[in-house]
Amino acid sequence: MANLTNLYDVSKCTACRGCQVACKDWNQLPAVIEPFKGNYQTHKDTNGDTFTIVKFMEYEDPVDGVQWNFLKYQCMHCFDPACMKVCPRQAYSKTEWGATFHDPDKCIGCQYCTYACPFEVPKYRKREDKITKCTLCVDRVEAGLTPACARTCPTGALTFGPRDELLQVAEERVKFLRVNGFPNATIYGKLELGGLNKLYVLTDTPDKFDLPLNPKVSGNTVFWQDWIQPYFGWLIPLALAGSATSFITTRILASKHGAHGEGGHE
Amino acid sequence: MALIPEYRADVPRVERFNFLARFSHWGHTVTFLLCLFTGLVLFLDGVNWLAAIFGGYAGAGLVHRIAAVGMTIVIVIGGVFGFKGVIEWIKDLLRFGKNDIIFVMKFPLEFLGFPVKMPPQTRFNGGEKGNSMLTPTSVMLLVLSGYIMWFPAIFPGGLVRVAYWTHDIAMVLATFMVCMHGYLGSFHPGSGESFWGMWKGTVRADWAQHHHAIWYEEAYGDKDQDKTE
Repeated sequence: MANLTNLYDVSKCTACRGCQVACKDWNQLPAVIEPFKGNYQTHKDTNGDTFTIVKFMEYEDPVDGVQWNFLKYQCMHCFDPACMKVCPRQAYSKTEWGATFHDPDKCIGCQYCTYACPFEVPKYRKREDKITKCTLCVDRVEAGLTPACARTCPTGALTFGPRDELLQVAEERVKFLRVNGFPNATIYGKLELGGLNKLYVLTDTPDKFDLPLNPKVSGNTVFWQDWIQPYFGWLIPLALAGSATSFITTRILASKHGAHGEGGHE
Repeated sequence: MALIPEYRADVPRVERFNFLARFSHWGHTVTFLLCLFTGLVLFLDGVNWLAAIFGGYAGAGLVHRIAAVGMTIVIVIGGVFGFKGVIEWIKDLLRFGKNDIIFVMKFPLEFLGFPVKMPPQTRFNGGEKGNSMLTPTSVMLLVLSGYIMWFPAIFPGGLVRVAYWTHDIAMVLATFMVCMHGYLGSFHPGSGESFWGMWKGTVRADWAQHHHAIWYEEAYGDKDQDKTE
């Protein structure tokens, strides 16, 4: 089955945050009220009850004055997700159409995934002691609907469909933007981390949108999961086996050579 | 053959570990084992039965944290009230020398039960010195990395990621040492009285003289002479 994905075109986004509200509505997420931080961004980051946010990045252009960059931010549904790699309870799985699905019934709230994720997207929901994140509306998509965020977008900035088709749309859009005043326009999610199941059309370089230019899974995580976990633990059964061997051989040899005498003398 | 030698109150005995040392030791034993079995549910796959003992994964997590705090308290009590003892312990570890190396080299034979003549040892023999360095270091790393993972929000993300594998490595090393230590301190016939040294606090004088000649001479040798004079 072809990958189904969201394409988010920054150049068409008005930051109305309809996607944010639709996400809350469909996933029945309670409001999270954060104090005013001096800009229009509602939440500092995604959180246990907010799967998606629109980031506001303010900057001053010498010609045009104060400008905004907007970015819809959520789980990137990586092709090779680090969260899935580190989860000790196998709570993560990939659907055949590309969503990274997190099963709350298996989750034990250890938060390994939060710190393994190059985007630090999975967030801890304290009241349930579970991790939560964007589901790419698995339930809707598998019922033949589009994700809540894409369905509600009034400007067409968010669309949903087969990834290869949307990639063509994105490439044409980037070509158009590059000759129409956005020379740095680029696609994000095509190749990053071996491919993300979320595509972005950006009007500038990714760092201007608070996205890592070259996201990668931390060497610490790779070292831990690929080397320490599978091999190092064998020391423990080795110690147990050694002790068991010694327990037997000492007693066999003692009967041959004579036991340790009083007070442990040879 | 008995699993451990009989405790003999009728022969001369000398003190090996005072109350605080024994309190620290057994306090660590209980909290470490609780942490180990509740922690293994995350390290190993398919051990639902182990989690079930502690009331599921959430219960195991809770016991793990309670035991970890208990261990921290034991460390603080031992370190504060037993400060002098800890310093003496470290001083003895710093005496690691030729006799200890010979002891460690010959130890595999002793471990399997072959009769071996060992050079005289200080209060802690070569193997005990190794255990005394490796296990407390691992436990310190476990405690530090554990608190970092418990309160990740107040530490930088990079440090939290380092804490995960540090906790794993330190756990495996400490568990390896604890398995060996548990066996050598009890059922290994060559260890003789050492179990009673940590359980009752005293060991038979003749055992101490034989297994830790240098320590016995330094700690009790002169006093014995005083008594006889």
